[in-house]
Amino acid sequence: MATEYDAIIIGGGHNGLITAAYLARAGRRVLVLERRYCVGGAAVSEEIYPGFKFSVFSYVVSLLRPEIIRDLDLPRHGLEILPLESTVTPMENGDYLAVWGDPDKTRREIYRHSPRDAEAMIEFGRLMHHMAQAVKPIIGMVPPDPTSLSPKDLLGLLRLGKHFRGLGPEKFHALYKLMTMSSADYLDEWYETDVLKATKSASGIIGTFLGPRSPGTAYVLLHHYMGEIDGSFRAWGFAKGGTGAISEAIASAARGFGAEIRTDAAVSHVLMKRGRAVGVVLENGDELRARTVVSSLDPRQTFLKLVGAEQLPDDFTTDIRRYKFRGSSGKVNLALAELPNFTCMPGVGPHLRGAISISPSIEYLERAYDDAKYGEFSRHPYMDVIIPSMIDPHMAPPGKHVMSIFVQYAPYNVTGGWTDDKREAFGDAVVETLTQYAPNLKHAILHRQVITPSDIERITGLTEGNIFQGELALHQLFFLRPAPHWAKYRTPIRRLYQCGSGTHPGGGIMGASGRLAAMQILADGR
Amino acid sequence: MTHDLIVIGGGVNGLVTAAYLAKAGLKVLVLEARDTPGGLALTEEMAPGFRCDVAGHDAGWLLPDIATDLGLAAHGLELVLPDATVWSPQPDGRSLTLWSDPAKTAEEIGRFSPEDARAWPAFTAQLARFARVLEAVYAVTPPHVPNARGGDLMTLLGLGRRLRGLGRREMVEFLRVPPMSVAEWLDDWFAADALKGAVGAGGITRILQGPRSAGTAFVLLHHHVGRPAGAIRAAHLVKGGVGNLGQALVAAAKGFGAEIRTTAPVREIVVRDGRVLGVALETGEHLAVSQVVSSADPRRTMCGLVDASHLDPEFVRAVRNIRYRGATATVQLALSELPRFTARAPDGALRGAITIAPSLDYLERAYDDAKYGAVSRYPYLEARIPTLLDPRLAPPGKHIMTVQVQYAPYHLKASWDAPTRERLADLVTATLTEYAPNLKKHVLYRRVVTPKDLESRFGLTEGHTYHGELTLDQIFFMRPVAGWARYQTPIAGLYLCGAGTHPGGGLAGAAGRNAARELVKERRR
Repeated sequence: MATEYDAIIIGGGHNGLITAAYLARAGRRVLVLERRYCVGGAAVSEEIYPGFKFSVFSYVVSLLRPEIIRDLDLPRHGLEILPLESTVTPMENGDYLAVWGDPDKTRREIYRHSPRDAEAMIEFGRLMHHMAQAVKPIIGMVPPDPTSLSPKDLLGLLRLGKHFRGLGPEKFHALYKLMTMSSADYLDEWYETDVLKATKSASGIIGTFLGPRSPGTAYVLLHHYMGEIDGSFRAWGFAKGGTGAISEAIASAARGFGAEIRTDAAVSHVLMKRGRAVGVVLENGDELRARTVVSSLDPRQTFLKLVGAEQLPDDFTTDIRRYKFRGSSGKVNLALAELPNFTCMPGVGPHLRGAISISPSIEYLERAYDDAKYGEFSRHPYMDVIIPSMIDPHMAPPGKHVMSIFVQYAPYNVTGGWTDDKREAFGDAVVETLTQYAPNLKHAILHRQVITPSDIERITGLTEGNIFQGELALHQLFFLRPAPHWAKYRTPIRRLYQCGSGTHPGGGIMGASGRLAAMQILADGR
Repeated sequence: MTHDLIVIGGGVNGLVTAAYLAKAGLKVLVLEARDTPGGLALTEEMAPGFRCDVAGHDAGWLLPDIATDLGLAAHGLELVLPDATVWSPQPDGRSLTLWSDPAKTAEEIGRFSPEDARAWPAFTAQLARFARVLEAVYAVTPPHVPNARGGDLMTLLGLGRRLRGLGRREMVEFLRVPPMSVAEWLDDWFAADALKGAVGAGGITRILQGPRSAGTAFVLLHHHVGRPAGAIRAAHLVKGGVGNLGQALVAAAKGFGAEIRTTAPVREIVVRDGRVLGVALETGEHLAVSQVVSSADPRRTMCGLVDASHLDPEFVRAVRNIRYRGATATVQLALSELPRFTARAPDGALRGAITIAPSLDYLERAYDDAKYGAVSRYPYLEARIPTLLDPRLAPPGKHIMTVQVQYAPYHLKASWDAPTRERLADLVTATLTEYAPNLKKHVLYRRVVTPKDLESRFGLTEGHTYHGELTLDQIFFMRPVAGWARYQTPIAGLYLCGAGTHPGGGLAGAAGRNAARELVKERRR
């Protein structure tokens, strides 16, 4: 008889590792099983070309909950987050829009484009700060089931009602608008400068299959305002050593608490006995037993592959089947012989240590979306570009650089499928578009890694390549994430839990799902 | 003061409010800017011998209690609910008819997809259940959210109980569906493009969003409130044209003692110290009154008729931010003979809405053009032939066709000049001629009503007939603006009763009736 664990965590992405760390910290015997050779899931750093290290998928961090950093003492395990202070948007007329770390400098810059917007920005920032504060308790709570009459759920609903009441009408209505409006309409109420609205909207469309004019995108705007680094909202950061360093730090913390982590250990299915999860079977046939099984995989992988529809209630299976993924983003990683020289801001400057956003206008973003709606990648996509080697020189050989380009839209269901030719054509479109703004780029490229949603799915296992384990749309949030009645990390299978981004609150390297799942498991006495 | 109360605007909601208030014993004066009351419930001569609805060509839904309370049938209102709700010809020469009877419709859908046919009854039943819950929501004055107290809290709890009455699964569905796009929702149910196009068109009615925009599932639900269970996209037609609805309401209001003055455009609502003092007409005449109910849209009322100095700038900002964005034009055609469609139309099918919406992609592409400020190159059309119902609308043997065109956005990159209007008429004629080859040759007269025309003729801000888009951020306790959803305004004695208030447009008189109830309640206090 093999050793029995208190908990087996399927998947060693950041949420799986966080759940493992919290459970181990509480004294549980924990085993993490990771299919790939390294932990991290979509938060990995890999040396794809000799000397060039990439944050292959996820590339910036801002949402990682500060309580997790504290509880797991991540800085002691090597986590160091370097600020990513600026965002520069090159414009089609050769000008640019910059947002700097220094608020006064930013205000002067916005003033150059519109005095009115410079003024609005102060109030907007204040409102977003309030909104982020208003959302924080919701992000930190296990979603109550509004259809249930159990005392716990009713209490949860009451708490939620009290929270909303406590906000007062003004803030509540502002929050309600943010939840239901399109980012373009929402920003229209505040600003007049198109490029400013476009750059802000861009964060509203990341990871969704919606354009900036579709309702529901304003909320995602907030999702990206909720970041908190060293207590200050809104700042983006880059992990020293790449995003993989975050996973490594969490893994190290988990091990420190006694968790065991096995890589190259792909799970074939969840082992069931009398309707309960009792362990897992690996793809090599090994059986591992545990009192509790926790899956950090997305809902479709967890329930339709590891468990199987035949083990689950029909209604639940229907809900999981119609839960929407629709991966819409890709990634291009470049190894560069020299730094890009942007026409709008020539030479080497602080802008290269921040993000470069290719989002010149709302119409540009909408047109990028139009291509995707009808099954093509955007010919002129939205791009979020950073040069990690400018922040952490160890990412590339001396004098050389790495560039990370997040690209949208690249629909998973591209017409004709993602063939090798299609992937290269997509890579070409990205390089061509970016070269329009930085003419030397094309010839500075030493290596190019193009990642489509189909590649994301193949490598990380994320269904349809959706980076959030399911779209962050209003009808897939809170008590509906991933399915009604099962948003509390439990599942219809006893002793099987879920802890990935496909659960509330989901999305980004936030870790809140992993932490809340661990809390729920411990509260259930598992 | 000779009147207890003045109603500004003699459109459907204004007349309904006036009728209810007069019925409650108040001395009511209605001021209508135009020479005929009725607002958009207007049927007028578009060419010698041809009478035609101006904008909306159906009554949407007239709540049965309004018709009963006001005795509209006695005043000549004759409503017809055709057996066919939608007839949608396809580019491949087939056609799809949606009937009020779900079994008959399922049979029809079976020719496109047997699986869709099997799903149809369950879909229509779900829509009907949701619509019944919404109907309850639409009948109440929106409670204060999030700080409901007392009676307000009871209203909320009552609605909550109603929602729970759906059962756990359907309750979740009711919460899940409205924020979805109509495309996503229909994709969950059906496969056939023809069906999804014909039904999905109901999700983009009078809104500058496409079927893939989130929140359009709600729009579809909205347009099923009050409809008979099982019928999809059903609408009340008014025999003799929607103008007869306007005339019946006028007669009802007058019958209860309300006075209606036409050609009496209001220049200003006179306010002092935050209170209504009266109304100043364009003629310079001043009418003293302590209560004014405006059925004009919220922006026109609060930013046009009230001097901004009386209002909190935050409130004004909120009103200015209401999204109107008229997106629909009407093209009226006078025809020397009935259009002969290539696709076979079953008996009675042409009494439904003749819908050109062969797929969701077709609708989405139509929206793409509008998104960038252009008229759709391949527009979504909804046509009706009112002479099939009442031949007297045209000379013997001749016919009228009214066509709603979407998208024809108010905010065009070009302008709504004469050539643009002509091109719109050409586009509509050409599009219909593809499905009915004889049509083009038999057009005797045509007339175009753009959102700009609706604004200039009827005072509708940005030509939006619903007085503001029906999006999740502009309904219920957010309509017309957050904090002021109870028909009151920050000016004491000034109320709103138009489609810009809860529950919005497409439901004849629902807002007006709610507003009247609030006013009566308040006067009793």
